[in-house]
Amino acid sequence: MAQIFPQSANRLPLVVALAALVLPPAVVGGVWYYGSPRFTDVGYQPVQPVPYSHKLHAGEMQIDCRYCHVSVEKSAVANVPPTQVCMNCHLLVARNAESLAPIRDSLKSGSPMRWLRVHKVGEYAYFNHRVHVGAGVGCVSCHGHVEEMDVVHQVEPLSMGWCLDCHRDPKPNLRPLSEITNMTWKPARDPEARERQIAGLRPVHPPTDCSGCHR
Amino acid sequence: MSAEHWRSLGELEESPESRAFREREFPEGASEPPEGVTRRTVLTLLGASAGAASLVACRRPEEHIVPYVEAPEQIMPGVARHYATTMPNGTSAYGLVVESHEGRPTKLEGNELHPASLGASSARVQAAVLDLYDPDRSQQVLKRGEPSSWTDFVAAWKERAKLHAADGGETLAIVATPSAAPTLARQLAAFQKAYPKARVVGYAPVSEANALAGVARAAGRALLPVHHLDKAKAILAIDADVLHADPEMIRHTRGFAGGRRVVAPGDAMNRLWSVEAVFSITGANADHRLRLPARLIPGFVAALAAELQKGGLALEAVTAPELPGLDKTWLHALAEDLLANRGASVIVAGPRQPAAVHAAVVALNAALGNVPATVEYREPTDALLPSPAAFAELGSALRDGKVKTLVVLGANPAYDAPADLDWKGAAAKAEELVHFGSHVDETGALASWHVPSAHFLESWGDARARCGTLSVVQPLILPLYGAKSAVELVGLLASGEDRPGYDLVQATWRGLLGEADFEKRWNRVLHDGVLPDSAQPGVKLELKPGTLGELAAATGGAGELELVFQACAKLEAGGNANNAWLHELPDAITKVTWDNPLLVSPATAAAKGLKDEDMVRLDVAGRSLELPIQRVPGLADGTLVLYLGYGRTKAGRVGTGVGFDAFRLRTGAAPDLVTDFKLMRTGERYDISQTQDHGSMEGRKLIREATLAHYKDEPKFANEKTPLFSLWAEHEYKKSPQWGMVIDLNSCTGCNACAVACQSENNVPVVGKDQVRRGREMAWLRIDRYFTGEPSDPTAAFQPVPCMQCENAPCEQVCPVAATVHDAEGLNAMVYNRCIGTRYCSNNCPYKVRRFNFFNYTKDTPKVLKLLNNPDVTVRSRGVMEKCTYCVQRLSAAKIDARLGGRELKDGDARTACQQACPAEAIQFGDLVDLQSKVRKARENDRTYALLEDLNTRPRTTYQARLRNPHPTLAKAEPAGGEGPHA
Repeated sequence: MAQIFPQSANRLPLVVALAALVLPPAVVGGVWYYGSPRFTDVGYQPVQPVPYSHKLHAGEMQIDCRYCHVSVEKSAVANVPPTQVCMNCHLLVARNAESLAPIRDSLKSGSPMRWLRVHKVGEYAYFNHRVHVGAGVGCVSCHGHVEEMDVVHQVEPLSMGWCLDCHRDPKPNLRPLSEITNMTWKPARDPEARERQIAGLRPVHPPTDCSGCHR
Repeated sequence: MSAEHWRSLGELEESPESRAFREREFPEGASEPPEGVTRRTVLTLLGASAGAASLVACRRPEEHIVPYVEAPEQIMPGVARHYATTMPNGTSAYGLVVESHEGRPTKLEGNELHPASLGASSARVQAAVLDLYDPDRSQQVLKRGEPSSWTDFVAAWKERAKLHAADGGETLAIVATPSAAPTLARQLAAFQKAYPKARVVGYAPVSEANALAGVARAAGRALLPVHHLDKAKAILAIDADVLHADPEMIRHTRGFAGGRRVVAPGDAMNRLWSVEAVFSITGANADHRLRLPARLIPGFVAALAAELQKGGLALEAVTAPELPGLDKTWLHALAEDLLANRGASVIVAGPRQPAAVHAAVVALNAALGNVPATVEYREPTDALLPSPAAFAELGSALRDGKVKTLVVLGANPAYDAPADLDWKGAAAKAEELVHFGSHVDETGALASWHVPSAHFLESWGDARARCGTLSVVQPLILPLYGAKSAVELVGLLASGEDRPGYDLVQATWRGLLGEADFEKRWNRVLHDGVLPDSAQPGVKLELKPGTLGELAAATGGAGELELVFQACAKLEAGGNANNAWLHELPDAITKVTWDNPLLVSPATAAAKGLKDEDMVRLDVAGRSLELPIQRVPGLADGTLVLYLGYGRTKAGRVGTGVGFDAFRLRTGAAPDLVTDFKLMRTGERYDISQTQDHGSMEGRKLIREATLAHYKDEPKFANEKTPLFSLWAEHEYKKSPQWGMVIDLNSCTGCNACAVACQSENNVPVVGKDQVRRGREMAWLRIDRYFTGEPSDPTAAFQPVPCMQCENAPCEQVCPVAATVHDAEGLNAMVYNRCIGTRYCSNNCPYKVRRFNFFNYTKDTPKVLKLLNNPDVTVRSRGVMEKCTYCVQRLSAAKIDARLGGRELKDGDARTACQQACPAEAIQFGDLVDLQSKVRKARENDRTYALLEDLNTRPRTTYQARLRNPHPTLAKAEPAGGEGPHA
C-alpha cells in the first residue's frame, strides 16, 4: 500500500512554522506600508480637462498663487479660479490655443469647468486654509513645489498622522506672513536667525484634540 | 414645604407601561427596524453594501471641483454671508438676518435692530427656512390642473380684466390673508381704484378679528393693540397665550423675562396672572393660574371689573354673574395687584374670547392708567385686516352667482373655511377661481388658475411690524420654482401690467423715503433691515360708554362640556403643515409629535371613562370627527381642546393625512367654542407618539424652584451641598477658553425656539412618527416639562436639556473605540468616523442626551433639501451616535476670526444656536475662565445648580433655579417652595 503522505510532507510542520513567523509580519507590514496614504495617495496625478501647467504659470511667469486662488487667506477653501480668471489673460495670450478650447467653451456656454480634485484631507475633517495661512504655514508645506509641476500631483500624504505631526510641533513649518506664497523661501539654518524669521508671528497653538477638526 | 415634580400622568399613577418604559434604555422594539423592512433584509442589504464598498475602496474616487464661470461679486466659496430681510407674519412681521452659503440661505436669525425680533427668534421663524426648500411646493402655473405659464396667465388676466373694467369689478373679488405691507396695500388700493365695486376681503381662519372688533366697540374704530410686557409689573393674561402663540411672542417673551431677571435676592420680579381653559405656555409660566372654562371667562372679566370697582377704580356699573368655583380670595388678590400697579400693569385677552371681553379689557386697561404705558392702540396703517363678516358675505355672494372671478391670495379656504359656509360649493359657482399659493393645496386643486407663490426668502416686498416699524423683504435667492411674489400678482391684477417686484417695492419706498438721497437711504434700509424711527405711536383713546355691559350676555351657561378650537402653536391653522421640523417638535405641554389628539383634563376623562389613546367621536350639529384623546393635567374640567391645522388632504408628502381635521366641526357661527355637541367612545385605540417619558430621570432633584420670598430668606436654596470626591486626581481645566453654559430656568418659558434652532444649525434629521414612538427622536436639545402639584391643577416648569459636556463624562469612560473624548476646552467631543455604534455611551449617559442613528435617515432626502444643510456640520449616517457639541463649528469660527483679527476671543464672540435663538435670553454661554464673562457670573450666582450633581459628572451646563412670585395673600395657601424633592 502506497504511503498516504509523500515524504516531502515531513517538512510541512517546518513550512507552517516558518509561514506563521513570516506571514503575519508580512501582512501587517504590507497593510501598514501599502495601505497608508503615503503609498496610496502621494503621487496622485489625475489628468485634468485642460493641461494647465503650474510650472509655466507659477514657476516661469511667477504669477502669485493668490492671483487665482483668491480666497486662500479669507476662506476655509482655497478656491479654484472661475473660468473668467483664465480668460483675463487668454483673451490676449494664446487666444486660439487648441488646449484652451474647453476654457473658451466654458465661458461661451456658461457651463463650468470640472477640474479633478487632487488634494483632499480625510473625510469628516474640516480643514481651514485661512487659519493655516494666517498662522504662517506656506503653500509649499502641504502642496509641495507646485511651481515645478507640469501636472499637479500630491506630495504629502494629507493623513491624520501627518497633520498631527505638524500640529504637535508647528515651528519647522512656520514662515513670515510675507513669504507664504514664496515657493523658494528657505528657513534659516542658524537657530537664532530662524527665531528672528518667525518672531513676527502670533504664537501658534494648533489644536490636537478631535474637536479641532472633526465636528 | 415641598412640591412634588412629575412628568406624566402615567408616572404619577405608576402604571406598569410607564414603569417599563422608563426602565429601559431604549423603549421596547427600539432596535427593530421600521415597518416594511425586516431585520433579515437589513442584514442582507448590509452584506451587499459591504461587498460593494470593499470593491470600490480599491480605487480613489474621483472628485470634481466645479468653480464658477463668472464669479458673482462678493460671494466667496466657504464664507457665509448675512443679509437682512423680513418674515411677514399676518399684520406684523419679524426682521431677520439670514445666513447664506454660496447663495443658499441656510439659517434664520432675528435681527437685533428689528423691534419684533430683537435678535431672537421663535420655533416657527427657525423652521421657516425649511419651507423654502420644500420639494412639494408647486412648481408651475396651472390652468385647470394642466401645466401652463405665467405669460399665459398674464394674457388670460388681461382678457378677464376687460370684462371687469366694464362692470366696475362688481363680480370680482380678492380673498387675501391679512397683511401689513406698504407695497401690497398700495397695490390693493390701486386695485380697488381700478375696480371700485370689487370686494377685497381679509381672511384667516384664526385671527385677531375678535380683538379688532372689541377695540372698535370700545374706541369707535379698529385699532391694533401693542403690548409692552417689559414695562408691566403685573400682567393678566385672559385666555391669551402671549408668550407662545401670539405673533409678538418674541418681544413679549423678552419683555416678560426681562421683568423677572433676578440676580441678587433684592431684585424685584413681575407677576403673571393667567385665566384660561387650555394649558398654555403662558399659563405654565404664570405665578397664579386659574382654570376656568372658556365660556365662563367673560363672566370672570365682569367679576374682575366689579372687584376693581370695589377697590376704588372708576368704572361703569357692571353686573358680575355668579361663577361656580371662582375663588374670591384669588380674585381679590388679583384686583389688589392690578390696583397697586396702576400704569404698570397690563391685561391681555386672547383671540378666542369674544369682542365683549376685548372691549372690556380696553376699558380696564384705560381705567388702570395702562394706556399708553404698557399698552398702546395703533392705527393699522397699510394693513389688510381679517373680517369674518366680509368673508361670510362673500360666501353668500358666491353662492348667488354674484362673483364671477375670485382671486385667493395665500389663503386656503377650501380647507379652513367655516364648515357651515360650504365654501367649496360656493366657490364652484365662480367662473374663474385664481389661486395664488405655495402649494397646490385643497383650494389650489379647485382653482381654474393656480399661480405658485414665492417664499419670503425669494421675493421682494415689505412689511410693518406690530408697532409700525417698516422693513423690507429682501430676497436671498431667485425663486427656486419660478414662483411670483404677492406684490407682483396684485400689481398685475391692479394695473394689468406685469412688473417685477423690485420695481414695485422701490416705487413705494421712493414715496416713504423721499427722492433726496434715495439710493443711499434705500441701501441703508436694505443693509440694516429696518427703517429707523418708523414705529407709529398709539392713538389717544376716546372710550365709548357701555363697554362692560355686554360681558354678562357673552358668558356661557353652566353646561357640562365645552369644545374649544385652538390654532396649533406649531402648524398654526395648517399653513405650516408640510414642515417636518415642526411636526416632529414635541408640543410644549403635551409633548405629542405628529398628531393633534383631543385634549381633556384627567377628571373629565375619568368621568367619561376615557383613557389616553382611546378613539372618540365628536358630533357637532350633524358633523362628526373621530380622533384619539390625550389627558392633559391642568386643563379646565369639562373643556375639550381641539387643535386646528391637522388632517390636511393636500399639504404635501409630509403633512398630508397627519392628524385630524378639526375644521370639519368648526362653523362660522361658533368658531371659537361649542357647547352643544356629543362625545362618544368608539372603542377603538390609536397610537400617539409622545416624547414625554423618554429618558425619564427617576425623580431626582432636576428642577429646583422657590418663591421669591423664600429666595430672599435663603439665597442658596438650590445649592445641594453634596460632598464630592474623586478616586483619582482630576484633570484641571485652566487654559482659556473653557466653554460652559448656564440656563436660567426662571427666564425659560419653554417656547421651543432653541430646539428648532439646534435642528436647523446642526443638520439634525427628522425620523417620523413611528420612529419617535420607538424612542428614536434625534433632537440634540430636548425640553423637559415637569408638572408640580395636584394633577387636577398643576403648574408646569420647563428645562432645556442639551449635552451637559461633563468634565467627568460617563460616556467617555465606556466607549471602546474612543469615539467620544474630551478636548482641552472642556468639550465632550463626538468623533463620528470613529463611532462603531455600540451605544454604550448612551447607556451610561445619566442625562440621556445622546442620539443614535438607527437608520440612514438622510438617505432619501430630496436633492433640493440638501441645499438646506449647514456645510460646516457633518451629515451623520446610520450606526453613529451623535449629540450636542455646543455648536463646535461656531466656536471654531469665532476662534479663527479672533485670531486672524489679531485680538483675543472676547465674551459674546462665540454664541451657540440655542443661545442666539432664545427670546428670553435664558441661555448664557461662553468662557468660564474669563472672570468678566456673563456665563461665569451666572455660574457663580446663588441659584445655580448642576443636574445630578451627586454623580460627580461635573457638568459644564448648569441651571439657575426657578423662582415664582406669588401674591402675598395667596402665598400662604400655596406651597412656599424651597427645594422640590421629587417623586
